[in-house]
Amino acid sequence: MRIIQNISFLLILLVTAASCRKVIDIDLNSADPKYVIEGIITNQQDSCKVLISKTVNFSDDNNVPSVSGATVTVTDEAGTVTTLQETNPGTYRTASFQAQQGKTYKLSVKIEGEEFTASSTMPLLVSYDSLYVTETQLFDGKEKVATVQFKDPPGKGNAYRYVQYLNGKREKTIFVENDELTDGRTINTELLIFDDDDEEDENGEKKNKIRSGDTLRVDMMCIEYPMFTYWFSLLNASTGENQNATPANPVTNIRGGALGYFSAHTYQTKTIKVP
Amino acid sequence: MSNTVKTWLFFLLLLGVTVQQATAQTRYTISGSVRSKKSGESLIGASITVQGKGAGVTSNDYGFYSISLPAGKYTLLASAVGLEPQTIELQLDKNITLNILLEEEIKELEDVTVTSSAKGRSLSSPQMGAERLTINETKTIPVLFGERDVLKTIQLLPGIKSAGDGNSGFFVRGGAADQNLILLDEAPVYNASHLLGFFSTFNSDAIKDVMIYKGGMPAQYGGRLSSVLDIKMNDGNNQDYAVSGGIGAISAKLNVEGPIQKDKSSFLVSGRRTYVDAFLKLSSDSTINNNSLYFYDLNAKLNYQLGKKDRLFLSGYFGRDQLGVGETFKLNWGNATGTLRWNHIFSDKLFSNTSLIYSNYDYKITIKSAANDFKVFSQIKDWNLKQEFQWFLSSRNNIRFGVNAIHHTMRPGEISSSDSSSFNDKALQKRYSLENAVYAANNWKLSDNFNLSYGARLSAFSILGQGDFYTLDTDGKVIDTTSYKKGEVVKTYVNIEPRVSASYTLNNSSSVKASYVRNVQNLHLISNSTTSTPTDKWIASTNIIKPEISDQVSVGYYKNLAGNKYELTVEAYYKTMQNQIDYRDGADVFSNDVIESQLLFGKGRAYGIEWLMKKKVGRLSGWVSYTLSKTERKINGINNNEWYNARQDRTHDIAIVATYQLNKKWTLSANWIFYTGDAVSFPSGKYRLDDRMVYYYTERNGYRMPNYHRLDLGAVLQLKKKKKFSSELAFSLYNAYGRENAYIIEFRNSKDNPNKTEAVRTALFKFIPSVSYNFKF
Repeated sequence: MRIIQNISFLLILLVTAASCRKVIDIDLNSADPKYVIEGIITNQQDSCKVLISKTVNFSDDNNVPSVSGATVTVTDEAGTVTTLQETNPGTYRTASFQAQQGKTYKLSVKIEGEEFTASSTMPLLVSYDSLYVTETQLFDGKEKVATVQFKDPPGKGNAYRYVQYLNGKREKTIFVENDELTDGRTINTELLIFDDDDEEDENGEKKNKIRSGDTLRVDMMCIEYPMFTYWFSLLNASTGENQNATPANPVTNIRGGALGYFSAHTYQTKTIKVP
Repeated sequence: MSNTVKTWLFFLLLLGVTVQQATAQTRYTISGSVRSKKSGESLIGASITVQGKGAGVTSNDYGFYSISLPAGKYTLLASAVGLEPQTIELQLDKNITLNILLEEEIKELEDVTVTSSAKGRSLSSPQMGAERLTINETKTIPVLFGERDVLKTIQLLPGIKSAGDGNSGFFVRGGAADQNLILLDEAPVYNASHLLGFFSTFNSDAIKDVMIYKGGMPAQYGGRLSSVLDIKMNDGNNQDYAVSGGIGAISAKLNVEGPIQKDKSSFLVSGRRTYVDAFLKLSSDSTINNNSLYFYDLNAKLNYQLGKKDRLFLSGYFGRDQLGVGETFKLNWGNATGTLRWNHIFSDKLFSNTSLIYSNYDYKITIKSAANDFKVFSQIKDWNLKQEFQWFLSSRNNIRFGVNAIHHTMRPGEISSSDSSSFNDKALQKRYSLENAVYAANNWKLSDNFNLSYGARLSAFSILGQGDFYTLDTDGKVIDTTSYKKGEVVKTYVNIEPRVSASYTLNNSSSVKASYVRNVQNLHLISNSTTSTPTDKWIASTNIIKPEISDQVSVGYYKNLAGNKYELTVEAYYKTMQNQIDYRDGADVFSNDVIESQLLFGKGRAYGIEWLMKKKVGRLSGWVSYTLSKTERKINGINNNEWYNARQDRTHDIAIVATYQLNKKWTLSANWIFYTGDAVSFPSGKYRLDDRMVYYYTERNGYRMPNYHRLDLGAVLQLKKKKKFSSELAFSLYNAYGRENAYIIEFRNSKDNPNKTEAVRTALFKFIPSVSYNFKF
């Protein structure tokens, strides 16, 4: 229950009004660079994309080095091998690929004599019925919250991920859920955002606060269960911003010792004008 | 069950040996109770020594004592902390009952020296790794928000570490927070904290005695690996009515006690409530005044003396916390305990206590947003029956034996919601178990110098149906499920827990001791948060989760210096722990019925040396404690299966506590605390993923939080003392030099330069002043 952790922590801060937050210098070790592979394949045309980069030290810039010259292939169930082309440094794509629901795909990445592999099965599409805005009492009073509605098919094992864009700006919060507690229901998922204060502007106003008239877009992805575990563990232990006692790297489906993931998922999107 | 048979034989043998030893000579017995004359409260651990003989006993948990001596003329000296010692001369030619009433200590008015009877630590008792606190000792120590708290006071002792700034949670000798057995009038308290750990559930007004065992646990205690914290409530004044209370920065309390029938029976009721929420309500800011945040607790006790040989006690505790954000989120949790006890004196040598104990902890979460609503309920409930005998064979020999049976019911989580909600109703399986134990221990004074305490506890933990139990593969996937019927025994874990300790007195001011104990724990707390949250979940051992077992050896050196003005204690320990629990990466321990699939198992080890120098008499009193220690875990699947530091591994831990009696009116106090920062996991790199920065970790707990230190100051002003009424003002300043101790450290994109990342430290308490007013009449 991440929500309980979040709320409890915010309440601690509230109780201890004297608490203070400060940016501090901290001496962190450097680590040998590791490859980071982010592979996506969806039911959309032209959507197959693999990004390859490397880790950097904490004190370095956020511009991570992209990795060029890798051999990247995707293999379908029939054994057809498609090689992806490097369109930009570190970005590998193919136009000739549209993945199918229920099918399993294999990824292979070869870089300087090392090979990384993964496989992912695209779940069946669950229809994204509606996107609307609700108002819920949160710490800062009533707040508008993007809400996604759909009907979960009977049988556990479904998992979903959402990405929110407000006036074209992508929200960095990771929204992910499974149907462990919601199997077979009409699901209304509210995309609650527990912010860090780096998302405030100069006046202390939240940059990502939803207001009337805003353009709100939410993408919905049906992801396979191992990818739920990946995103859930990433969210709980790798974002640097919560109270988990044991931060760690997320549980990846890539074999061979790279960070990242390979996900075959369905993609649907909706955009509304906030009333 | 041949193991069980063997154990029983062992017990019988043990009894046989000691009985034989005891019947060698005709002796008479002096027995009775030791009480405070003023309040009639029975005194725990009062000592009765035979002058010139070196023989002596201490009163038990109910103030009962018994000593057997050959016929003759004796002078007895009865003494207890804070009370005037009393000498009694008697001619022993038959068994006699002697009830001793000790008077309040007389404080000389012209000389305000605290005349605490210069009684050093018991050098001859084989008990080690134990500290006793009386509530009086904790009164002057400065505290956060002026709220006196025994759980925070014990953290100033060596080997006991705070779970964080201002937190009442604690770690003992490298153990985890759930490895402390916390008892209130014998009832286990499953969540001893209020307000997310900033206050403990123990209202110091209602408490008589606090005893903590870090090692050498006596055989009557069992069920947790690292420590026993045995807290006893006042019985209630059976001489006169008394009212006391206090108004502090965040809470108010009131304590009423008195006789129902003088000398025979008494009652006590003590309540406390915080009023932080009242301040919230005062705020005009709707973002604040919609929130709720409070706790209250209530202690009550009745006791009846039924004739000369029987005494009955009924005590209870009830406390709740409420935390809420408008109507959106509400969390309500609390403990309830009840204890019914019957003391019976079978003979002047055989004392019996029977207890029926109830313990409950539960929480409720209510979430109501625009589109969804649901409620979660979780509970752990115990029924506990104990029978114990203490057999005072002679002044050199006593035996304690008993049985204990606890029935646990656990409801890990039940979700209910309305039809329009996205959530299904769901109940995680209820779990039932039976925790049985028999134990026996013999305290034996072999010679004037050598004391031995040896015994054992045989524990049997039975997991009961109904329910589904699983078989998992190495990745935690379920490969088989077995269903058990109601009441059917799924599995029984039988363990024998030896408890041995010995002391050797070197001379009249120093001694050495050594002990070995094994402890077994079958209830485990599942928590993966840096803060103590009410939703941390207790689970019992299953076919997969094995009992946690610890073996601890310790040695110690004790010296009373300068005519018992100072006492020095040095103890060293080495402890190994089996079947320790950690989480798989990405574990979801909230909604999963197969909780075992989210866990990993391994072992732990902890070792260290603890120094304590205490000054108990004079204007200046207090102590200095220093702990040098190490605690590690090795769990398959974590940190490449290598040993790693447990989070609570703190190399150095220092506490200096001082109280200075300035004059009749003012008492000043200060404490200073330093400890090495916790072992934590910080990132050793970062990478870009999903269009944001994510942190890269290379090892578990490979970093340290910054070192923690702070100074607290306190002062107590005694206001005008009338015959019946006395009152005081207590001032305190927590973190007096404003050290910003890191509570958590987070990592994020830099606010000023989005192309950089930065570390952000949250510090909680800095210069927290408080005043409280306490009165008594």
